[in-house]
Amino acid sequence: MPGKLPKWLLALTASVYVFLHAPLLVLVLFSFNDSKFAVWKGFTFRWYERLAERRDILDSLWVSLEVGLASTVISTLLGTLLALGLARHRFVGRTLLESLLYVPIVTPEIVCGISLLILFVFFKMALGITTIIIAHVAFNISFVVVVVRSRLEGMDRNLEEAAMILGADEFTAFWKVTVPQLWPGILSGALLAFIMSFDDYVITSLVTGPGSSTLPIVVYSMVRGVEPSVNAISTIILVVTAVLIYASDRLTQDKPLKA
Amino acid sequence: MSGVRLAWLRWSARRPDARAWGLMLPGTGWLLVFFMIPLLLMLVYSFMPKGMYGGVVAGFTFEHYLRFFDPLYLKILVTTVLYAAACTVLSLLMGYPVAYVISRAGPWKNLLVFLVIVPFWTSFLVRTYAMMFLLADEGLINKVLLALHLIEAPIAMLPSTSAVMAGLVYGFLPFMVLPIYGSLEKLDPSLLEAAEVLGAKPFARFMKIVLPLSMPGVVAGSLLVFIPALGSYLTSDLLGGAKTFMIGNLVQQQFMKANNWPFGSAASFVVMAVVLAAVFGFLRQRDNSEAGGL
Amino acid sequence: MSFEKEAIQLIEAVRRGEIDRRAFLRNALGLGMSLGTIGLVLEACSTGEEAPKAPPAAPPTEPAAPPPEPDLGPVEAELHIYMWSDYIADDTVANFEKEFNCKVTLDTYESNEEMIAKVQTGASGYDLVCPSGYAVTVMKNLDLMEKLVKKYLPNYANIAPTFDKTVFDPENAFTVPWQWGTTGIAYRKDKITTPPDSWALFHDAALKGKVTMMDDMRDNIGAWLKFRGKSLNSVDAADLAAAKADAMLAKPNLKAYVSAPVKAQLVSGDVWAAQLWNGDTMQGKAENPEIDFILPKEGAAIWCDSMVMVKGLKNKRAAHEFLNYVLRPEVGAKISDYTGYGSPNAKATAAMASPVPYPTDEQMKNLEYQQDLAAGTAAWDQLWTEIKSG
Repeated sequence: MPGKLPKWLLALTASVYVFLHAPLLVLVLFSFNDSKFAVWKGFTFRWYERLAERRDILDSLWVSLEVGLASTVISTLLGTLLALGLARHRFVGRTLLESLLYVPIVTPEIVCGISLLILFVFFKMALGITTIIIAHVAFNISFVVVVVRSRLEGMDRNLEEAAMILGADEFTAFWKVTVPQLWPGILSGALLAFIMSFDDYVITSLVTGPGSSTLPIVVYSMVRGVEPSVNAISTIILVVTAVLIYASDRLTQDKPLKA
Repeated sequence: MSGVRLAWLRWSARRPDARAWGLMLPGTGWLLVFFMIPLLLMLVYSFMPKGMYGGVVAGFTFEHYLRFFDPLYLKILVTTVLYAAACTVLSLLMGYPVAYVISRAGPWKNLLVFLVIVPFWTSFLVRTYAMMFLLADEGLINKVLLALHLIEAPIAMLPSTSAVMAGLVYGFLPFMVLPIYGSLEKLDPSLLEAAEVLGAKPFARFMKIVLPLSMPGVVAGSLLVFIPALGSYLTSDLLGGAKTFMIGNLVQQQFMKANNWPFGSAASFVVMAVVLAAVFGFLRQRDNSEAGGL
Repeated sequence: MSFEKEAIQLIEAVRRGEIDRRAFLRNALGLGMSLGTIGLVLEACSTGEEAPKAPPAAPPTEPAAPPPEPDLGPVEAELHIYMWSDYIADDTVANFEKEFNCKVTLDTYESNEEMIAKVQTGASGYDLVCPSGYAVTVMKNLDLMEKLVKKYLPNYANIAPTFDKTVFDPENAFTVPWQWGTTGIAYRKDKITTPPDSWALFHDAALKGKVTMMDDMRDNIGAWLKFRGKSLNSVDAADLAAAKADAMLAKPNLKAYVSAPVKAQLVSGDVWAAQLWNGDTMQGKAENPEIDFILPKEGAAIWCDSMVMVKGLKNKRAAHEFLNYVLRPEVGAKISDYTGYGSPNAKATAAMASPVPYPTDEQMKNLEYQQDLAAGTAAWDQLWTEIKSG
């Protein structure tokens, strides 16, 4: 690597990180604030205690995890296959299909939500967790494809071909050679899908049914009512994910997390 | 299992197109049924007269598209595009250096990438409110500056256009950093070494080698920031005091307050058409320049 | 033992509380009693002291009072409620579940339109929703509501005359009034020393950057219509033009257009005066006693949100039980003490820790309900877009 990084560049980077994390510090700080409002009145655990009383928060957290996991698995699987098809084959309408993939990315959420609501009614589907998962997969697939494709483009196909010359059939070559190589791309696609599902409000609010409110829906209502347990639940989620990601990173040192 | 396997291999060997479609069918099918068909329905709606309480009534009309070309709405469109463009440029200026540093950070790479993503595990709304706590007249920054006697009276930072910009950049920065980092990471360091040996100055090395090679990342990142910024409205409502009307506000208002679904759809489709045309053009250009590559 | 005798014994046992309702249900079904009969029995046993007017557990062969109301059968095992967030006391639902053996799901929405869009599909799955007044009209026009069966609502008599037979539901056919409130001005007594009495406060350049108005076209434009002595439901072009001029005059002074969340800024002192609902003001006042609330002399909006049953609901009996339950004085009082709003229930208001007094007839002259604008919505929407983007 030629030369060291200039000081101004490091300073700039550091300040961007401060910018990204300062609000998080505020959030954690106010989860211990003994007032409902943004005025510091002293240290308290009561917002954490209140979490235990608020069944709706915990219920919605489970719904969010369920929806997040299901939609991530489905959209990652479908998205990865789609990315493979697009990258490995030339066919009529390829550019059209590719542009089609960008449509979900450019569609305003409210339009996506209302149109899905109309569709579900047409199919007489009861609104609930299933409809939320369907909606989340629909807007996630494109993002997975974009991420996985960028990984595929930098990949060496020779290995796969070599495996096939050596007698492996297409499936074996795929599982033993392609997938491991593609893994970081699949993983970051899945991560992106999960985060988007976990944070979606507008579309979800239009396709939820009784008893299937997700965390963002409850959070939204709490922010409106000024309820600091929102900070408490966010702090817990931050800490848990930090620990999980750190642990998985330590466990898979040679499979680095990247986009 | 092996029977299916064999059948698939035999069938797909005869039809290469079919092989591609076999991989893509589930995903494409899902997108068609649960995205394209509903969207087409909305497109049809946008040509129909509005219902009194949402929805549409039978008929055909261009009025919603014509209405959008009123100066009132065009002004909103222009304002939104300017905000989104400014947000993209700022994100690029802030995100590129970060991506560059990460790509050179060796063992720290994972941690640094992780730290870019972390804020996104909290709800968008919670993050934005935390930002408001920071910037308010009685907020943390003013309190600290006052306590340190650096200022006499609180600086009015909220609501303001700069606060909106900060909020937008905050919301979309990772979408800029990650793709650029992705393309910088693939950069062959020997190219830079060669350039250095040949006497190229750091600035020239950057302009002639690093920047051109990371262009795909820059383009992808810019699109991923510009597009969602175009549709955003909550940020400007919360940090800008809701005193600017964005396209997102307009669409939301049409569906949720004005009961004018077709006009809301028409406004959405005009914006989407503009963006899609740009993306389509970009893809065509890339495909041509790749000349049959991957 | 004859069927009749066994049935009567069973009913007596429930009455005396010897067996619970679930056991009764099992036994009764075993006896081959019709669901309708069981429902009648359960109803007679359940409402207890709150139900003096409940019909007696007469055998179904004897016809009821002249206008025959349908029998609804036993309380279903679940109930799905969709309502505004932060609008119910912490233990309201839990206590109902315990008492009636009915699992309740409670989901929240942030706008009438969001709720109507979903209910309109006919597949929402919700039993009870909580529209504002004008939204009741919309739901009525779209035929989205189910008629109440009054014999299951003996506590309906607790509703105060002010909120009985509202303009939206003159026959009390669909609505059970839930909470009422007014939209006025919340302000900080310590920052604004002369108490404001007019919407003109928002025209005062001295308060530039320290005041906010609501981010909703009905509330915002409505206030300026009132300011000029017009109806807040006006669709007259001249009235609206005047309201726009007033709104544009106020805009430079406003720190923001913001609704409920402004109470946090009132508490911190970032905002000194805000157009706000009385109940949210009270929630802020609980944190900072310097906050107070006034109704401008030119007039303001009064509103009353109601619970209604969704057309074709699945858990009709449970919905009635829930409505009757929240109409109990002590339950209603707890809800209103939590929200900070007024209870349309006279007996509940009397039982509240800090009751919100009903408006006097004199005050009522200055207060006006928001009504559905119907075709006039388009003009208001255009005006609001001009104000917001101007």
